[in-house]
Amino acid sequence: MSETESAGPAQKRPVSVVYQREKKTKASVLWTDAIAKYGISIGGALVIIAVFTIMLFLVYVCLPLLDAGRLDAVKKFTLGTAGTPFLEAQMDEHQTIAVDLQPDGHIKAFHVGTGTPIAAPSYDLGGMTATTFASTLRGDDVLFGFQDGTIRTGKLNLNASVTPANQIPPSLRKLDERDATDGTDVYSKIPGQFRKTNVTTTLDAPAQIAEPGVAILKADYRLGGTAERPLKTFVTLDASGKLRLTQAYTELNMMTGEGATQITNAEIPLTANPADVTKILLNTPGDRVLVATRDGTIYRYNTRNFANPQLAETIDVEPAANVEMTALTYLNAENSIVVGGSDGSIAIWFGVDRKSKATTDGIVMTKVHADFVKQPAAIVDIRVSQRTRMFTTTDAKGNVWIRHGTTERTLLELPGTPDTSGLQATVFGPKDDGVLAIGKNGEALLWKVNIPHPETTLQSVFGKTWYEGYNEPVYVWQSTAGTDAVEPKLSLIPLIFGTFKAAIYSLMLAIPIALMAAIYTSEFLSPRTRAVVKPTMELMATLPSVVVGFVAALVLSPIVENWIAAIVIAFGVIPLTLITMSFLWQLLPQPVSNLLDGVPKLIAYFLAILAAVCASREAGPLVEATFFAGDFKKWTSGEGSAQPFLFLILIPASFALVFFATRPVYNAVYRLNLRELPKILAAARELFGWFVIFALSIGLAWGLSILLNQIGYDARGGLIDTYVQRNALVVAFAIAFAEIPIIYTISEDALNAVPSYLRSGSLACGASRWQTTSWIVLPTAASGIFSAIMIGLGRAVGETMIVVMATGNTPIMDVNIFNGLRTLSANINVELPEAVRDSTLYRTLFLCALVLFVMTFVINTIAELVRQRYRKRAAQL
Amino acid sequence: MTDTVANTPAPSEAPALPVPLRRVARSDLAARGEPFVWIMGAALVAGLAMITGFLGFVIYVGALTFWPQPIAVITTTQDKVIAGEAFRSETYKPRDEQLASVSPETRAKITADLGIVERTLYRVGNYDLFGEDFVWIPSFDVKATAFPKDMYFIERLEWGPFVGRVKELDVAGSKQPMPTLAELRAAHAAAELRRTEIEQLEKIEISEINHQIDDIRLGVRRAEIEYGPGTAGAEAAKTEAAKETAKLEAQYKVLEQKVTALRQTDDAVTVTLEAVDAQTKTLPLSRLVRFYPANDLTTEDKWSIYASRWFEFITAQPREANTEGGVLPAIVGTLTMMILLSLAVAPFGVITALYLREYAKQGVFVSFIRICVNNLAGVPSIVYGVFGLGFFCYIVGGSVDQLFFAEKLPNPTFGTGGMLWASLTLALLTVPVVIVATEEALAAVPRSMREGSLACGASKWQTIARIVLPRAAPGIMTGLILAMARGAGEVAPLMIVGVVKLAPELPIDLTAPFVHFERSFMHLGFHIYDTGFQSRNSEAGRPMVFVTTLLLISIVLMLNAFAIYVRTRLKRAYQVGQF
Repeated sequence: MSETESAGPAQKRPVSVVYQREKKTKASVLWTDAIAKYGISIGGALVIIAVFTIMLFLVYVCLPLLDAGRLDAVKKFTLGTAGTPFLEAQMDEHQTIAVDLQPDGHIKAFHVGTGTPIAAPSYDLGGMTATTFASTLRGDDVLFGFQDGTIRTGKLNLNASVTPANQIPPSLRKLDERDATDGTDVYSKIPGQFRKTNVTTTLDAPAQIAEPGVAILKADYRLGGTAERPLKTFVTLDASGKLRLTQAYTELNMMTGEGATQITNAEIPLTANPADVTKILLNTPGDRVLVATRDGTIYRYNTRNFANPQLAETIDVEPAANVEMTALTYLNAENSIVVGGSDGSIAIWFGVDRKSKATTDGIVMTKVHADFVKQPAAIVDIRVSQRTRMFTTTDAKGNVWIRHGTTERTLLELPGTPDTSGLQATVFGPKDDGVLAIGKNGEALLWKVNIPHPETTLQSVFGKTWYEGYNEPVYVWQSTAGTDAVEPKLSLIPLIFGTFKAAIYSLMLAIPIALMAAIYTSEFLSPRTRAVVKPTMELMATLPSVVVGFVAALVLSPIVENWIAAIVIAFGVIPLTLITMSFLWQLLPQPVSNLLDGVPKLIAYFLAILAAVCASREAGPLVEATFFAGDFKKWTSGEGSAQPFLFLILIPASFALVFFATRPVYNAVYRLNLRELPKILAAARELFGWFVIFALSIGLAWGLSILLNQIGYDARGGLIDTYVQRNALVVAFAIAFAEIPIIYTISEDALNAVPSYLRSGSLACGASRWQTTSWIVLPTAASGIFSAIMIGLGRAVGETMIVVMATGNTPIMDVNIFNGLRTLSANINVELPEAVRDSTLYRTLFLCALVLFVMTFVINTIAELVRQRYRKRAAQL
Repeated sequence: MTDTVANTPAPSEAPALPVPLRRVARSDLAARGEPFVWIMGAALVAGLAMITGFLGFVIYVGALTFWPQPIAVITTTQDKVIAGEAFRSETYKPRDEQLASVSPETRAKITADLGIVERTLYRVGNYDLFGEDFVWIPSFDVKATAFPKDMYFIERLEWGPFVGRVKELDVAGSKQPMPTLAELRAAHAAAELRRTEIEQLEKIEISEINHQIDDIRLGVRRAEIEYGPGTAGAEAAKTEAAKETAKLEAQYKVLEQKVTALRQTDDAVTVTLEAVDAQTKTLPLSRLVRFYPANDLTTEDKWSIYASRWFEFITAQPREANTEGGVLPAIVGTLTMMILLSLAVAPFGVITALYLREYAKQGVFVSFIRICVNNLAGVPSIVYGVFGLGFFCYIVGGSVDQLFFAEKLPNPTFGTGGMLWASLTLALLTVPVVIVATEEALAAVPRSMREGSLACGASKWQTIARIVLPRAAPGIMTGLILAMARGAGEVAPLMIVGVVKLAPELPIDLTAPFVHFERSFMHLGFHIYDTGFQSRNSEAGRPMVFVTTLLLISIVLMLNAFAIYVRTRLKRAYQVGQF
């Protein structure tokens, strides 16, 4: 250091001293010192920064969730299809080929991105022109309706297959950097291989549906059943106003390979004018037909009974006089309909089971989501995503917007349009990653979009959302669905609820035990016993939580299930036994009780608990038989009378009531008299007094319970309800096991930090140890104890393995102590291993972690601040 | 100070008392608050009973698991005969349907007992024959119980244990009905040798060849990435590789033939077992792991079975979805992870604490940092797991793969959960523990010692390195050991960053480079979770879970005890005399 250096000039030293040490600091020492200084400072700062990056990283991963999506690229090209009549457009999932289907069956296929025509097989409709056309959501099953009352079904496939590089035809025309074509097939370069895309079609024989010569005006078509036994369902409206529901089974003969088709028809009574009908919608099971008219009236037919379709409900989706319904389609899963109005408005309707008398099946079509931003012109086309609740809306001025149904979000307003006078077709790419728009002028635009998380908003994560199939907006966590038809529901509220449910129930057990144990250890134990007891309790904290969880789930949970009645009454029996024992203990002569103070007294406590536990165990079945209709678990589900249980839970309350009501009398008269008596007599009278209070409170509880039962109050249905094996009570026991040592140690330290002269002063003034504890030590240490509880809460909130193992991990919001729960931490643990990287679920789980992090951080900071304040105060005392 | 005392509320009885003229010397019973004292004391005792009861239970069950139990042959009232080890007993309430089938006397008795009946779970084994290996027998259903001496308990490589008689031993055609135990043992010893030989060939030599072939394939890909596919360099590598591969494949063929030959000899030695219901099962003798006549054992026999089971548990690979065999991979995984963890956590923790305590300017900012570090110790471990997966595995690991293991992509090498990332995640989790412990230890070094050293002319670093750190060493060691103990017991974050149910290869083995930190691994804690909750039959996994629990608890408790020992021991060693 510099002081060493300036020790003084060397030449002043007496030269005669031979063994004089060189006083100059070695360079190596200085170097080492500097390296250490900077190394440690930088290293230390880096570690601190690194640790704090955890939170930043979690935020960084979560943020894209709120991102509406972005436009990656725009490709503009010319098709030259201006003025051609047009039915339908489709695009394959890799955005390679798009097809344009015309009423005469002609198919125009072109390369997406350049507009280069690709040769594709057309439908041979026998020279006829389709009067109507329908296709399924995926677009590969099509139906044509004709002037002569026939229909023809068929398939329109955009096939993609992987081809090795060496099987590519030699002379290919290059289209762009990815694609090349030989005229009919497009070859796209993918890593190591090529993908071949082309168009194929099939067309079935005509089927006569309407009377010969009566034109089919409108139709909808769905293909169900299996590949071997396809079930074609379609609904047709003919010019004579007949609405028919048709099912066509094709059974393949295994021997000949030929199909025999059976057609059955059912006529649906149509009340609307056939000329007004703008759209007919059918769902895949074929049990619902919607007929929509221009003015916004929708007739919902229940066709569950095929032979006898019924008009279930008539709704007006556009009640305003000057607004017409200009677009209508099913969302993915075919339960919700999206309605577009001439004023540019969008609304989503679906059937809610209200058990209504107004409709024949009790289901009422309800306008659920209507809070969409209005588009500048009338909505003319809605194209829905095949995998999510997204859809595109196209208006009369050619604007295309991408929206999400459930969250009512407008994700992207796609910039530019190929034709401001309106679009011929819009195609939403099957992978939700592109939108193709073809203008009436033959210009086309491909927007490449990236919308990774359309379904999450702050509202959907933390608020109530009205999902399809629910009767009202709800908080639900349901991350995995079997199919795309069911959307994932990612509300964190049930998880946060579960987290606090577990934490609070466990704290209700842990706090009393830990605090009282800490007080006893600090104030009533000799230092020698304390030196053994405290480390033993701390040993509990070191047990891996997986062990605790395993024992809780496999050992404790069956025991709790079998002995639930005994456990419920033990909560009362144990304290009562202890209090009774304490009064009996007072009967002991003073020298004896002095002698027994210390370890023997601990043994006495243990024996008292043991006796109480054994008594509960013995009494359990009896209590179950008399109070709980023979079976506690069945009782929780609603069997038997509520009164006995009310009686049990009212005992503590009425005890407190009796206790405090009798206090003035007790203190003013009874207690003063006691002082005059010899100890043994006084103790006996105390015991008697206790029995009186006990009897009074039992009587009061019994009376109150009868009263409450008479007014119809039942404890079941809230905190107490149907019993499930892996329940909150078991978890509470297990987490309490993990919390007790933490709360115990910290609060014991806090109590211990109370200066001993405060105790001495109090004792010297004649206060008893109990009085000193309750009036001097506890108030002084209160803030330290508070911080201990907060730290215990922090631990309970973050506990993972115990919860994973000992609860059923059901994400429900139910305060019932006998039902399961799912906490944030358990949720992460259960779901993250299966979550795909950067998917919505993955990011939502990071959000869970962030919420957990912030929650525990806040709780711990409060605890820590309180603790530091307390430490300072205790030091000043 | 006086203020505080005045603030505390006055004793309660004061207002109620009409001031007595003379002091009462007798004790006021109510003032002693005996009921409160009892409840508090009982809370402490309950806590102590919980921890000792818990430990006692786990140790008792764990230690008893491997003890050979007698096989009871039970005839039920419906004259069904079952044979098995009594596994555990409990009381339960039979359902009404079950009660309907019993005799009226029994029913009356059960009703008198408030519908509660005792029942015992028997491990009947023979899963392949019976379809269930555990049977509950209610006490009222037992007609007769016997312990025949010829009942064997046979542990097999597949299908779990077999309970029954040995009917026939067939050593390559020479059949011997009802073989004695000694004959069986002799034949079995030979069979076991053959099995080990086959395993040696398959698991070590053949897998070594597979490894080499795989390496060659990856070498070709590396060359392709380096020189570009189709270039001369890549083609040269390809031809070279083809030659090498052909050579190795020839070796492989030889080994395979050897294995096939051995297999044939092995399959010729069979044993026919007969279950209690006279169904028989013939299987190669080498498929048996251990067998003993459970009702005909001396105490020494029992002890030797007990010891051999423990030995297998510690040294063998798991079998049957982890419900049998050993936990060697889990032990190796846990220990390797703990070592890696402490290697990572020690320098970082100590450096940070040194910075905070010795170098940083003390002030509001540093105390804020200190509070935060303290809090990080309370952040749930699963949060660190999430961070580890997102940051270490996907971002850091993904980059490492891009840079160094491009030839293996798209199969991730470091870009997925593994030993290294798991250890680093746990290091991050435990670094606050070490920082806090080290800081406390540093703070405990008296100022006078630092000042003395500096006054003698030592530099700051010399003071820290030679005076402060040695004095603080016990505290630091304790923190480190506690961090390791915590790391050993944590499971939740590991489940996300690399622990697997069954790791095919250990993180440390004999193939170069000997340590494979990219591999996923097994962990004792996860083993408990997985075996107890995810296996075919949680009953079958139960013994294994209890023994693993015992092992894990022993490790954790031993580490903690060691921490306490080190603390007291080193404290004494560095105790400075008063001068």
